[in-house]
Amino acid sequence: MTPILETEGLSKRYGRKPALSDCTLTLPPGRIVGLVGPNGAGKSTLLGLACGLIRPTAGSITVLGERPAANATQLARVGFVAQDTPVYSGLSVADHLRLGARLNRSWDQQLAEQRIKQLGLDPAQRAGRLSGGQRAQLALTIAAAKRPELLIFDEPVASLDPLARRAFLRNLLEFVAELDVSVVLSSHVLSDLEQVCDYLVVLVASRVQLAGDVQDLLAEHYLLSGSRADLAGLPATIEVIQVEHTPLRSTAVVRCTTPIPRAILDAEPVSLEQMTMAYLTRAVEMSEPSFSTKALEVQR
Amino acid sequence: MIWLAWRQFRIQLLVTLAAIAALAIYLVFFGRGVHHFYDTQIAGCTGETCANAQEVFNDKYFNESMLIGAALLFLPALIGCFWGAPLIARELETGTHRLVWNQSVTRTRWLAVKLGFIALFSLAVTGLLSLLLSWAAQPIDKLFGSRFGPMTFDSRDIAPLGYAVFAFILGTTIGLLIRRTLPAMAVTLAIFIAVQIAMPTLIRPHLMSPITSTVAFTSDFLENKQIDGIGSSGTSGGSSGDTTPVGIFGYNKPGAWVLSSPFHALLKADGSAFTRVDMRSCMTGEQTRDGTCLASKNVHFNITYHPASRYWTFQWIETAIFLALALALAAVCFWRIPRGFS
Amino acid sequence: MLWLTWRQFRLQTQITLAALAALSIYLIIQGRGIHDFYDTQIVGCQGDACSNARILFQDKYQAPVALVGALLLGIPAIIGIFWGAPLIARELETGTQRLVWNQSVTRSHWLAVKLTLIALFSLAVTGLLSLLLSWAAQPFDKIFGSRFAAMTFDSRDVAPLGYAVFAFVLGTTIGLLIRRSLPAMALTLAIFAAVQIVMPTAIRPNLMSPITASEALTAESIERAHGFGFSSADGDGGGSTPMSLFGYTKPGAWVISSGRLPILKADGSAFTQADNKACFTGSPEKDFQCLAAKNLHFDLTYHPASRYWTFQWIETAIFLALALALAGLCFWRLPRTTA
Repeated sequence: MTPILETEGLSKRYGRKPALSDCTLTLPPGRIVGLVGPNGAGKSTLLGLACGLIRPTAGSITVLGERPAANATQLARVGFVAQDTPVYSGLSVADHLRLGARLNRSWDQQLAEQRIKQLGLDPAQRAGRLSGGQRAQLALTIAAAKRPELLIFDEPVASLDPLARRAFLRNLLEFVAELDVSVVLSSHVLSDLEQVCDYLVVLVASRVQLAGDVQDLLAEHYLLSGSRADLAGLPATIEVIQVEHTPLRSTAVVRCTTPIPRAILDAEPVSLEQMTMAYLTRAVEMSEPSFSTKALEVQR
Repeated sequence: MIWLAWRQFRIQLLVTLAAIAALAIYLVFFGRGVHHFYDTQIAGCTGETCANAQEVFNDKYFNESMLIGAALLFLPALIGCFWGAPLIARELETGTHRLVWNQSVTRTRWLAVKLGFIALFSLAVTGLLSLLLSWAAQPIDKLFGSRFGPMTFDSRDIAPLGYAVFAFILGTTIGLLIRRTLPAMAVTLAIFIAVQIAMPTLIRPHLMSPITSTVAFTSDFLENKQIDGIGSSGTSGGSSGDTTPVGIFGYNKPGAWVLSSPFHALLKADGSAFTRVDMRSCMTGEQTRDGTCLASKNVHFNITYHPASRYWTFQWIETAIFLALALALAAVCFWRIPRGFS
Repeated sequence: MLWLTWRQFRLQTQITLAALAALSIYLIIQGRGIHDFYDTQIVGCQGDACSNARILFQDKYQAPVALVGALLLGIPAIIGIFWGAPLIARELETGTQRLVWNQSVTRSHWLAVKLTLIALFSLAVTGLLSLLLSWAAQPFDKIFGSRFAAMTFDSRDVAPLGYAVFAFVLGTTIGLLIRRSLPAMALTLAIFAAVQIVMPTAIRPNLMSPITASEALTAESIERAHGFGFSSADGDGGGSTPMSLFGYTKPGAWVISSGRLPILKADGSAFTQADNKACFTGSPEKDFQCLAAKNLHFDLTYHPASRYWTFQWIETAIFLALALALAGLCFWRLPRTTA
């Protein structure tokens, strides 16, 4: 099957500042892909490139096997909900549905109307007067009702309160199951993604740090604890992602594709959060040691 | 896509239609008044009565026709500022481009429909007003206006069409490049006004090479008020000594666009300058007699001009230039818009 | 607050100052040219040379003077549109008023500083340009222009100041009421243009009641008119057709009555074609003297030249008062605006 997104050495810079560097990534279809990373990591850039709003500086990108936004057919296959969910403040909710109907050949009016009714939105309401959550729902409705094969969300829940956030994500899950689409969604809050995604991409400081099936990744990562010396003498098959030292003992998140030699150390399974935090911390320490506080934004 | 273009442009369109309707009705009344006055009091009048009726005609209608002309000059600037500049800039500023460009319509098609729709509407609006004004002011232009005068030429016939489309696409392009509505509007206005000043003063005279021809002085020049005066002035050769060259001031060739300065030195048959000493014998103070006397001396002068017959050629050339500029700018937009916007 | 106003207005200020400098240099160069031409070729000229020099003078400087005059008419509109209308509307539109109105500065204080600074800057810009244009075009206006003509009156001396401040506050008020920049800009332009048309045509002539006086018909007054006689509207040219002066101008004054002024005899009855016949020899000079001797007069409604400055001050005061009233509306409305 065609990957939903395939990039090769993809880079984007704004002036001299890199926003995305040398990103090589293949995302399989039929998944809910979570893209996680701190603010300014390059998530929006990657998603912007994926829907063709931005052009790469170097490298290549294909979405569902074609160049993003190459033609109307390609546009019809990808639904995109941008960060802060832009809508026309002067147009009413009904106008937005009409906009969708006129601008998409594959538009599912019934689905759109049903969702608007479910959400309790007044069709005559101007979009500028909707709350943040309602706006996000409206934008999601427009993206979904065009019946795409791939739905991309850029920080869909960033502006929502915890309740609205949970409702939005649950709603999203139901409807993904119903529509049978692949989904890519980004967030700087891991807990949002943990609930829904089965594939994870960690992006920090304009580089991809980790990408893979959540179950596979968890199976390959371990939490080791022992003395400083123990951790220093690990075999080459074990990649140390991040180590933390306390006076008494040290703990390390490691990656190992082969079963871990049991004898030396105390190996425990790792949680998704521990694993992600390890990659984030490592990346932040490597790129800008003084800015490691940024990683703190990625938290439960 | 046409629905969206209409929906987003609806209010502007309705406001414009209301304003245009009001202006059109006003122009029809104005034009009927002008034509009625002309037909009853000026057409077929004779002698002094004619000049006096023209004086009343001028007093009654001239300022009004200039004001409407000025409005028509300004209309393309408004179109560029209020329809052109925000067209893309506003989408980029509010972020809605990320919504609309992710529907199943390519950006190129989105732009094509928007540009086409509003450009056609701009053409229709300016075309209607220009048609009405050209008709209404026709007797005034015939009597008082030079059709080549900058205010007249740019506000009559087809020239406004070129300006309107050019201003609209100029605004759109600047909005696309600057990406912010207010600065784009200001820059559009500044550039368009500069073009409106540069065109009639620097460019239009050279669109075709002017004709230089010799005009023989005849006795009826003074009587028909075809010239403003004969003599010399400070710039034409200093004091009023005997060798000071004498010339015609303000030669007016009906319908033509005289480019050379209002002073035309009079020349004798052999091409040498006609001076004060040559003219002395023709200075009795009696206008008619002096005119005949000068005419008998076989003097002539040179003028550089565009003949009246070139009016429509100039109108078409200028319209074509602005339509071509508009097309070139539209090409810039179509080249730029598929490229990225962060 | 001063700092914020300056910071948000910095770019506009710099662009304006650059344009102002360019225009001032242009005006100084043109003004020197105009004064030089006038002093060397028109002052003290005699006879033919005089009228000929005037033709050259007009040909050379009419376009620049008219152009800068038109620009000075347009500047208040531009101030209203680009400085006034977005001032509050843009804050409301982008939601930044929620930031700025929650600093420790009251809304009224915020508005007062913004309005005052930008109004003063508008005054300075239009004042400088008006001063330079009034100086540069002075010899030109003296010869060709009527100081009361719509285009001239509004672009010289103190009148542009009133227009500039009025346009700015008008734009601000409309922006506050409509809360959206673009429609506010369009509406500001429409209203201001309407005011600019209505003022000279409908209001200014009535700011003071015009003088109606009878003027004696002299050779000089006939020469100051464009024509003497009758037009086809007056009659068929038979003996009873009344005679009129056409296109009469009174130096420096603003003549209100129309292009045709009927000639009256001493007893107030119409001077007709039959009466005129006696003075019709064909030699204009002799004819005029003959007419002047007949003790004729005509009625003229006008504002005398001496009222020019009174009119300038009245009009400026009106627009400043309107600006103050609109500013009052802003100060009343702003604290009641939902953020």
